Order: sequence, then structure tokens, then C-alpha cells
Amino acid sequence: MNLLNCLILAFLLFGIGVWGLMRRRHLIGMLISIELMLNAANINFISFAYFTAHDATAGALFSIFVIAVTACEMAIALAIIVTMYRRHKSLDVDQLRDLHD
Amino acid sequence: MFNIPNFILPDVLLLIFPFIVIGIRLFVTTRSQLPWRLANIGFIAIFLLLNLIPLAGGSGKLFICNWKVDDFGVFMREVLMVSALLGMWLSKDYFEHGGDKKPPMHQIAEFIGAIAFATFGGFTVVSACDLLTFFLGLEIATIPMYALAAWNKRDQYGSEAATKYILMGSVATAFELFGFSYLYGFSGSLHFDEIQAAVASGSSPLLWIAVLFLFCGIGFKLTLFPFYTWAPDVYEGAPTPVTAVLSVTSKATAIAFLVVLVYGPLSPIQDKIAPLIALLAGVTLFVGNLGALKQSRLRRFMAYSSIAQAGYIMVALLGPATTAKTAIIYYLFVYAVSNYLAFFVFGIIGHHREETFQSLRGLSKQNPSLAIALAISMFSLAGIPPLAGFFGKFHLFFSGASTGHYTLVAFAVLNNVIALFYYLQLIKAAWVDEPDGHLNPLRLTKRQREVIILLSIAVILLGFVPFLSNNIFAGFMN
Repeated sequence: MNLLNCLILAFLLFGIGVWGLMRRRHLIGMLISIELMLNAANINFISFAYFTAHDATAGALFSIFVIAVTACEMAIALAIIVTMYRRHKSLDVDQLRDLHD
Repeated sequence: MFNIPNFILPDVLLLIFPFIVIGIRLFVTTRSQLPWRLANIGFIAIFLLLNLIPLAGGSGKLFICNWKVDDFGVFMREVLMVSALLGMWLSKDYFEHGGDKKPPMHQIAEFIGAIAFATFGGFTVVSACDLLTFFLGLEIATIPMYALAAWNKRDQYGSEAATKYILMGSVATAFELFGFSYLYGFSGSLHFDEIQAAVASGSSPLLWIAVLFLFCGIGFKLTLFPFYTWAPDVYEGAPTPVTAVLSVTSKATAIAFLVVLVYGPLSPIQDKIAPLIALLAGVTLFVGNLGALKQSRLRRFMAYSSIAQAGYIMVALLGPATTAKTAIIYYLFVYAVSNYLAFFVFGIIGHHREETFQSLRGLSKQNPSLAIALAISMFSLAGIPPLAGFFGKFHLFFSGASTGHYTLVAFAVLNNVIALFYYLQLIKAAWVDEPDGHLNPLRLTKRQREVIILLSIAVILLGFVPFLSNNIFAGFMN
């Protein structure tokens, strides 16, 4: 296991996240894709901290903060999605068509 | 033990303040005005305290090695506080009766708390000295905005706007974070000084990937060209005061983010990323102006207008640090004041009518003072000479031109002609067009009238003040 392998893994995860975000039409699926992208960044931080950085603690700490921040963001996202669901009774993004040019 | 230096006192107060406002609400009745009064006193006190901080010049003062208070930071804090204060005044009426055919909102204390948290996020962004603080600041500034956009639970457009906003915002966060991780990998440290040293000593593909991801991420938040599509929908769907706060606080925070990044850790390669900034600026202001041409609803119109304004501000980022920072701060003051003046007028119209161009017709006969205020704010946003907007734009373009980007500046000036056209359309609706059909009469409350007079005077004065004293804005940062 070396740095390059970890970076490729992270990049692939990020790519899967972006792909999922564009392909998925379900709000929860899109949230999971975003979560994948954020975790790809976490893997980057930890692998850089482990292999190269001269300030290794900072990188590892950063990923812990990211996890906490993501939790807050997802809590708000789920709350908003619940209000959406109460109104439309479905979680399909294609119904988000009331606001347009 | 607790030895708090007085230059971070406003930051500490602003952090405690929302907890106090929300906490007080638990002990009073729903109809009590106490949280509202307390919020007013608190915001004004923090703003006055900020004005008392003496300008330090140079690199600013440090607190625990990663919290820096420099002149740029202090002025940005003032812009953010002005925005929070005006946003709060604008929102008050929406808790009594709704606007734009929407039901009234509830929980004013929590609403003000959320605005205060978002403002504190902006404070954190401008004072950060390492990537972690920087990232947390940006998130503290954004997360309350998601909640604010969805504040009106009984309004279907609000929840749709908030869903779009949070999806786009989270993607932006992911891109930024990915960029940060490469920047950390490239330099091996989170501290800005060490990143700057690493960037100065040589570049690698890793650095360029990082820059690309960072610009993608901030492009979403600043509504730059390929990433602006969420903005009109969110601006239209969110409650009107939230739209105003979004267009000023969130934009100011994103601009501050770019300024800190471009003139901090990335300053050794500023001339190499200049083409990227120039391209983004040019395309953004062109697209924003084109989009605004065909709008008929007021808030959607303001969304495209603010996209174009983001493009104009980006032009300044091409210049040297002092000129660019001065120009951006002056323009943000002007932009905040003019934008809030427009939103106050739209808000009053929205309380009684729909928020469209149709409702503006015949305004000059029904309510001349309101029509004058609208004209002042539109002329200032368009950049007509005696008003503040002209000098703001002049400084932005001067900053861009001082490093020789004449083509972009010429393009931006030409675009201003398109901008003038659509701002004039709005003024024409208010001053020339006759109303067709019945329009509800407009009533102003005492607060609305006072704020509109205050903001109109501010827009006019901000145009003259730089000439009365040579060094108010010219030489405060070296």
C-alpha cells in the first residue's frame, strides 16, 4: 500500500459520488453520493497525513472535523427533505419543477 | 486565566449573542418583543465595537496563532454586520403578515440566531489563518443559510428552493474539501504561511488540481458562470428577507474566501491564475446580464443582477493586494446598501401585491418617495455617476486595469450598458408605465420608512464621501 493507491481510491470514490449525483433521481440517493464525495476527501487527508506530511496530526484531525460538519449538514438536509416529503409524498427530484424561468 | 484581548471582543460577543437571544425566548411568551429588542441592541453594539477597533495596518494581530484580525477583516466584519442588521429589520414584518402571497413566518428569535451564526461564519472566514478554521468558517456561514431558506414550512416554494440549495451547497463543500486535501498534500501543512512558502518554492500538478477544485467549489457559492444555475430558483423560492441576506452575506463571505485565498496562500501564483479569474469574471457578468434581461419577477431579476455583480467584483481580484482589497470592501458596502434598499422597496410591494414588474406600474404617482428610493437603488446598482455604485465599479475596474487586463475591463464596461438597460426597464415600469387594472394601495410602517430614508441617504453619501477625504478608503491597508 502506498500513497498513489490511496489517492486513486479517493479519486475513484469522488468520481462515483459525482456520477451517482447525476444519475440518481432519488433525494436520499443523492445525499449518499454527496457523502461519498466528502469521504473521498477524508481518505485523501488521512493518506497525506500518514505518508507525506510533516504536520501529520493536523490532517488526521481535519477529517474528524469534516465528519462532524457533515453530520450537521446531513441533519439539516434530512429535515428539509422531510418537509418536501410531507408536501409531495415522494422523494423524486424530477418533481422539483415549480421554480423555473 | 481568561485573558481576552479587546480586538476579538466583537467576535466573542457575536458567538455568545445568538445563544442569549434564543435562550431568552424560552422564558418569555410568544408575543413578547424582548428577543427582538435584545437582538437590535446586540447587533448595534457589536457594530459600534467593530468601529472602535483601531486600524493596525500591516499583517494584523494574531490570537492563538490561527485567528488573525487585520484591516481587511475588520472592514469585512462591518459589511457583514450591516447586512445582518438590515436583514433583521427587513425580516421583522414577515413575522407579522406574509409577503408575496406566502403565509407569515414564525420563531423570530431562532431566525435572528441563524442570521447571527451565518455572520459569525463570515467573521471566521476573514480571520482564519489555517485551512481547518477556514473550512469551518465557510460551513458555519452556509449551514444556517440552508435552514433560513426553508424557514417558511407552509410554503411549497421555500422547501423546493431549500432542497436545491442544500444539494448544490453540499456538492460545493465536497469540491472545496477535495481541493483543500490536495493543497494539504502539496504543502504538508494546514497553516497559510507554510502553504504560501510551499507554493512559492515550486508548483506541481497537485497544486493545479487543488486550485481547480477550489474554484469549482467557490464558484457554486459565489454563483460564478457554470455553477450559477441554482441561484435564480433559490432566490425566488426563499422568503424575501432570506433572499436579501443570501445575496449580501453569503456573497460577501464567498468573496472574502477568494480574497483570503488569492492574496494569502496562493499569492505567489496569482499572476498564473489570473487568466482563470478573468475568464470566470467575464463570462459570469455576461451571463448574469443576459439572464436579467428577460425576467418579469422581481426576486428572480435580483438573482441575475447579483450574479452579474459577482462578476464585476471578480474583476478586482486581478489587481495588486491593497488596491483590490480596498476596491472590494468599498464595493461591498455600496452593494449591500443598494441591494437592501431595493429589497426593502420590493418587500413593501410584496406585502400588498405580487412581486412582479406589473406591480411596480404607476408607483411614481401612488407613492413618489418609494419610486425615488427605487430609482436611487437601481441607478446605484447600474453605476450612474453621482451615486455610490459608479465609484465602486470605478475602483473595481481600476484594480483590474492596474495589472494590464484592459480587454476584460473594456468588456465589463460594455456589459454595464446591457445592465443599464434592464435596470432602466424597472425604473420605466415605476415611473412611465400606467397601471393596468386595480393594484392594492401600499402602506409603509414607521420602521420601513425610516430604514428606506436612511439607506437612500447612505447610497448618495457613499458616492461623495471618498472625495471629501482623500484617505478614508484610499490608504487604509498597506
